[in-house]
Amino acid sequence: MSLLSRFKGLLRINHLERELDDELRSHIEMRTQDNLASGMSPDEARYDALRRFGNSTLMKEETRAMDIIGWIETTGQNLRYAARMLRRSPGFTLVAVLTLALGIGANVAIFTVVHAVLLQPLPFPHPEQLVRVYDDIRTSNTHDVGMSVPELWDLRDHSGVFQDISVLFPADANLTGGDHPERIEFLGTSPNYFTLLGARPQLGRVFSAADAQPGFTLGVVISDAFWHRTFGADPQVLGRKIRVDNDLYSIVGVMPPGFRHPGRTLGGDVDMWAAAGYSAAPFPTPVIRAARFLPGAMGRLKPGLTLAQAQAQLDSFVAQLARQFPDEYPAAAGWSLRLVPTQEDIVGNLRTELFVLFAAVAFVLLIACVNLANLLLARSASRRREIAIRLAVGAGRSRLVAQLLTESLLLATISGAAALLTVIWLKSSLLRFAPADLPRLNEVTLNPSVLLFAFCISILTGVFFGLAPALQTARAGQIIALREGSHGAGSSKHQLKFSRFLVASEIALSLVLLIGAGLLLRSFWHLLEVRPGFEPHHLVTAKIWLAVPNDPLEDPYRLPEKRAAFHQEILRRVSALPGVEQAALGNAASLPMDARHFQLPFAIENRALDSESTPVAEIASVAPTYFSVLKTPLISGRFFADSDDTKGQQVALIDETLARRYWPGSDAVGQRLRLGIRRNQASASQSPWLTIVGVVANIKSDGFDAASAPHIYRPLYQVPTYDGVVYLRTASDPGTLGEAVRAEVQRVDPTIPVFSVRSMDFVLATYLAERRFALNLIAVFATVALLLASIGIYGVMAYTFSRRTNEIGIRIAMGAQRTDILKIAFAEGAFLVGSGVLAGLLGSLALTRFLQSMLFDVKPSDPTTFAAIAALLAAVTLVACFIPARRATRVDPLIALRHE
Amino acid sequence: MGEVLLKPKNDVLQGTLALLILKTLARGEMHGYGITLHIQRVSSDVLRVEEGSLYPALHRMEQDGWISAEWGMSENNRRARYYRLTATGRKQLAEEEKNWARLTEAVASVLQFAQ
Repeated sequence: MSLLSRFKGLLRINHLERELDDELRSHIEMRTQDNLASGMSPDEARYDALRRFGNSTLMKEETRAMDIIGWIETTGQNLRYAARMLRRSPGFTLVAVLTLALGIGANVAIFTVVHAVLLQPLPFPHPEQLVRVYDDIRTSNTHDVGMSVPELWDLRDHSGVFQDISVLFPADANLTGGDHPERIEFLGTSPNYFTLLGARPQLGRVFSAADAQPGFTLGVVISDAFWHRTFGADPQVLGRKIRVDNDLYSIVGVMPPGFRHPGRTLGGDVDMWAAAGYSAAPFPTPVIRAARFLPGAMGRLKPGLTLAQAQAQLDSFVAQLARQFPDEYPAAAGWSLRLVPTQEDIVGNLRTELFVLFAAVAFVLLIACVNLANLLLARSASRRREIAIRLAVGAGRSRLVAQLLTESLLLATISGAAALLTVIWLKSSLLRFAPADLPRLNEVTLNPSVLLFAFCISILTGVFFGLAPALQTARAGQIIALREGSHGAGSSKHQLKFSRFLVASEIALSLVLLIGAGLLLRSFWHLLEVRPGFEPHHLVTAKIWLAVPNDPLEDPYRLPEKRAAFHQEILRRVSALPGVEQAALGNAASLPMDARHFQLPFAIENRALDSESTPVAEIASVAPTYFSVLKTPLISGRFFADSDDTKGQQVALIDETLARRYWPGSDAVGQRLRLGIRRNQASASQSPWLTIVGVVANIKSDGFDAASAPHIYRPLYQVPTYDGVVYLRTASDPGTLGEAVRAEVQRVDPTIPVFSVRSMDFVLATYLAERRFALNLIAVFATVALLLASIGIYGVMAYTFSRRTNEIGIRIAMGAQRTDILKIAFAEGAFLVGSGVLAGLLGSLALTRFLQSMLFDVKPSDPTTFAAIAALLAAVTLVACFIPARRATRVDPLIALRHE
Repeated sequence: MGEVLLKPKNDVLQGTLALLILKTLARGEMHGYGITLHIQRVSSDVLRVEEGSLYPALHRMEQDGWISAEWGMSENNRRARYYRLTATGRKQLAEEEKNWARLTEAVASVLQFAQ
């Protein structure tokens, strides 16, 4: 009967009751009349009519059972009965609730994060229109090379794709004027940034078209966190002047607490937004197409335009530009623009990681369900008598199934509620385990979707683990039960087969999880074995930054010589600090394991530009002592010297990767290359040729699991940068040393901040910890799975042998040895384990390729891992089935024989 | 031969009761009492539909959409609920008749074989 008609029934229930009464009365009256006509006395006639109905209340009830009210009543009875049954076996209930709560809780917790990070739309109007625009050089497979100002203008005015487009220029800046200089996260944008996002300030105003300037606007917008941190949430903050990189800005607006820049930043949440036109100081002028100094842009697509349509339009626009400016866009480079939905862009690689975790917890829940289904099956054997009696007194089979199912649903709902409460209670502690770079963590909340998910998954769980055993029980309990049910031993062959199938699938599921964990573990081992190319122990680094004022004339470090002198002075001072063995300097790009590495194209002298792939390398500027402080060996040639300065010959060092790739088998020292590529060799803005003076060993600068990118090093004193990193080889504590460095730097120039003081050991530990997040979780889930599977197989084997006590007794009495009995047990266990492991291996083979992006130096189908984990699982589960078998062999044959 | 009580508790007869009701209603609309009388009369008093089973069966069939019901006036001007076959009910009847034929045929052949 459809649920709909049941509900209709509910609405009409009173009416129906009356109708039924009317109908029956009419029937009785007709019968009475006929009886009278056939000659009965009035009393007799009436009595006969009534008698034929039998128990008219019972019949009315049965008629009504067709309706919703009956359904609700039945469910109520079922629930009360289920609650009674659960209370009667508290041990079973506790185990079941704990197992399920663990499974459901893990799912709810991961779903909460997945929902916030992946599913929930960005908190902006029409978030689906927001895209990040990336410039790629296709032929050299270089992504995100940056954008030039004319390109930005073209996109804004002529591409026909965007409603609005804004530059994204993440930077950090020096905030001065407080107790000591502070480093803040700064985002350069276009004036339309906030209107593009559709974001409103909590105080003051955001930028508008009226703010448009070729250079930076003087009004800035600050974040809520920065407002609280630096201004104590002062409501009078509007109009306050702040000095950032020596320039004076005034605050025009404060964003609300929930506002977060939807994209990547350098180090953390954006503190301050400033708009610019990027076509006047401090930006390079005149604007030229080839100067791709804008890191990127974010756009809002025109309404109704799909991503694919927009990308197609953009592709033809790019082709048109390439025809128009063949010099800037040589076909060899393969310049192209790529649109990525902002929602995806923020999440990046974490998408896979989260989905893998989600899959892992789903597996744990499945295993928990299977285990519980088995437990219920075993229990049903002991409830057989009860069920047989209920069947015998006329309970319908469907009613019985409904009853048993109600029990599982009640169990699942209780567990779901327990899980939800635990997740709510532990939310903040759980979030602390998440990697810090997980985007949108601030949006993790327990919202209606999470509650709905928790509810649905509980119900599904209940049906999943309850339905099969309920059907089995009701079927098996039919005829034989009353006879053999009394000793609880007789379980049908069919039921045993089913519970064996459950155990085998449990083993298979656990194996998939374990293999996933094994692959991640192996990746992690490989990661630990990677030689980074430098000695991370006893190495402390600190960042410094020279301010870049908007007006170059106000810049005391405008001349490269001034900057070089500054660097030399800093290096002299920090080298003399107590506890420092040796010190070095480099620019921000020289810092290994940091996020700021860009690959730039370069050209080799006397070598034709390869039309297939433009050479690219990471470029860093370093002081002469850099390699000796990092303990990176020289392969050939020489290190930089103090004489490699602005007046000296233009030189460079290259690393082994680059030397091997472009000068295989020959010496690169003495060869020349230059940075940037330009078709037009006569161009005036051509960068100078650099003579290679040496080759150094590789440094893994992008993390251990990244491919070794080729490097070109320039002498810091020849190309002195505004950004800097101080390297100290020391055994001292980074904290106290950091203070000493800060004091020395600020003795040279009190406006320069010293920030991010860290030991390299710490950096590596953090880096590995992030990699370890998924590994840890999956390892925990896999262990739980292994445990559940072992319990499962133990339970089934124990049950099988308790059934066969009699048989074993006969065998032993007939002279069978214990080993013979064990052999039987082994054969049975081995078959179960074997089929489970086989299915698990096949499943893993199909599923582990989704792990690909999280693996390092291990194939998703790594045979060693597969074999080792399968052997481990087989061993553990076989032990679990030997324990009950051994117990069975210890039985005294006399007792065993009497055991029915 | 005695009386056979049609009670739905009995699995075989439950399907049979539905078949008999459907077949009876195939002649035209009829109230519950009329259905019992018809079955009893046509089966020469062998089959007696118990009232306690008839109404639950009628209501279930109504919920399943095989039959529909309407209040009307009986021959002797009594208010009664009249049941009528729906299109689904007609299909169901054809189905059940086929099943019944198959069943009886099967039973018959077993019985013949046993001779």
